[in-house]
Amino acid sequence: MITATLNEYIILSVVLFAIGFFGVLLRKNTLVIFMSLELMLVASTLGLVAFSRYNHTLDGNVFVFFIFTVAAAEVAVGLAIIVALFRKRHTIQVDELNALKN
Amino acid sequence: MDPTALQAIAANNDWVTIFPELLLGCVALVLLALEIVLPVKYHSYLPGVALFGVLAIIPSQIISLRPGFLLEGDTFNGLLHQSHDSQVMRVFFLVTAVLVCLLGTVSLAKQRMPHTEFYHIVLVVTAALMLLAQSNHFVMLFVALETVTIGFYILVSYFRTSPLSLEAGLKYLILGALSSSILLFGIVLLYGAAGNLMRPGHTGSPMNFDELAGFLAANPHNFLAGVGIVLVLSGVAFKIGAFPFQIWVPDVYQGAPTPVTAFLAVGSKAAGFVILLTLVRTFSAYAWLTLPILTLMAAATLLFGNLAALTQHNVKRLIGLSGVSHAGFLLLGVIAAATVPMAFGAVYFYLFAYLIASFAVFGVMAHVAGPNDADQEISHYAGLARERPFLALVLAIGLGSLAGIPPLAGFMGKLFVFIGVFESGHYGLLAVAVVSMVISIYYYFSWIRAAFFETWTPPANAEAVSPRPALTPVTVPLFVMLGLLAACTILLGFYQGPLGDWLAAR
Repeated sequence: MITATLNEYIILSVVLFAIGFFGVLLRKNTLVIFMSLELMLVASTLGLVAFSRYNHTLDGNVFVFFIFTVAAAEVAVGLAIIVALFRKRHTIQVDELNALKN
Repeated sequence: MDPTALQAIAANNDWVTIFPELLLGCVALVLLALEIVLPVKYHSYLPGVALFGVLAIIPSQIISLRPGFLLEGDTFNGLLHQSHDSQVMRVFFLVTAVLVCLLGTVSLAKQRMPHTEFYHIVLVVTAALMLLAQSNHFVMLFVALETVTIGFYILVSYFRTSPLSLEAGLKYLILGALSSSILLFGIVLLYGAAGNLMRPGHTGSPMNFDELAGFLAANPHNFLAGVGIVLVLSGVAFKIGAFPFQIWVPDVYQGAPTPVTAFLAVGSKAAGFVILLTLVRTFSAYAWLTLPILTLMAAATLLFGNLAALTQHNVKRLIGLSGVSHAGFLLLGVIAAATVPMAFGAVYFYLFAYLIASFAVFGVMAHVAGPNDADQEISHYAGLARERPFLALVLAIGLGSLAGIPPLAGFMGKLFVFIGVFESGHYGLLAVAVVSMVISIYYYFSWIRAAFFETWTPPANAEAVSPRPALTPVTVPLFVMLGLLAACTILLGFYQGPLGDWLAAR
């Protein structure tokens, strides 16, 4: 049986988080940015579960349920805003959404 | 698990302590139910129901501040911690909710929009803000903070027929979710570090602030915990709009409906500072790391906020960037509070002065704004003093207090913070603060000058400049509100009353 160590889980979690973070900063499509945001949350959940398993505390596992709930609420509101904005502006590319200026 | 331990946990769930939040949630639900049940002609009373609900809670909350009634200590098995500070901040958020609802009646009347949901979300967000002020555990903090943030996503894009409001909502959504994720990852790292069985002082409940503080004191140079602390502070810095996490502020403030801008500027920022004060206390063993970061952040925030505000023509962007500089002043108080206990009181006093002055200004803005809520230029204020002397007077008092002109409340707030910074020995920061305060007077006064000394002339090329919207008549509740806010701003400058006693008692 292959068992991963805590460090491997944490490195994976950090890598996933970094992919999500740079995805948010660099991608231009709002939906891809949104996916990257979810990836960051999932990376945090992986870290929580791994720490919870290796530190023998249950808090982390319980926290994951709260994070899932929050992420679901965020997606519900976020997609609603994106759809409403697409109806008005017919684009979801962030560099074209620049009507707010001085 | 041992049944007696479960019984002890259940007995610790002291529901009475969060009665105000429960009541707010109930009022919010009643609003939605009433909207379905009542005929359309009675719907204009629904804001009144929301206001009455919040106003009914405030006295009970103020009574609970009296010595005999004050609830102190941990409840809900360490999830919440009630103290005098958290009780005062709960009153703060309730007052904010009342003012936001009153502003909502002015701004929403200009839009063809469903109204009830606005008050519903404002009440839910207020309840979450109040829980945030008492949170003593990262799970509680994260869930309350996300309830606030998701509520704000909806509120910012509330004018859903306006592309500007939606764009502001999307920008707030992306950057807000980004900062929440950073905060969450910081929490994960702290959880992992403090639960590590190999470390001295490791704890079974690493997300509890007291337990975490114990671990950090035992391991003052843990790498993982250090990274976690930096990430958590970055997440919070986004909420308060501190440099370099302030990029969202001008756009979101401009696009959001005026009452929501006010709620963001005051409620969301105050919540950020309440968390920050708690966290800086929790991370006190890592002051070697947190204080230099906060010091740099405060200096950069002060300078950036004021210099960027100088070039703004849109009053909502201007007030947003001036809010960034106010976050800088408050950060000074937080830094001073690490060594001088009096600075805690200074931060709270500053928040109250900022609340009163900001809502005076936002109240006037809501009356001057036209149907296009994002389009509020300084030039629209020309001749306000002649047409509406009352509004112009309230605006002058509010802006004067924000600028820190003696003897208004804002001046006393800045004075208390400066005393705290002086006592803690950060002289360099004090110099930066004084310079930026002088810069800020310039843009506040260009706004006052527009209201008092300029007359409105129709521009030669009407295409280039947006036309000035008609002024909204001031209703009786709004007249009372604006009058009270202006009076309080002057009064708090001369006499700090119980708030001042509480300040001095530290």
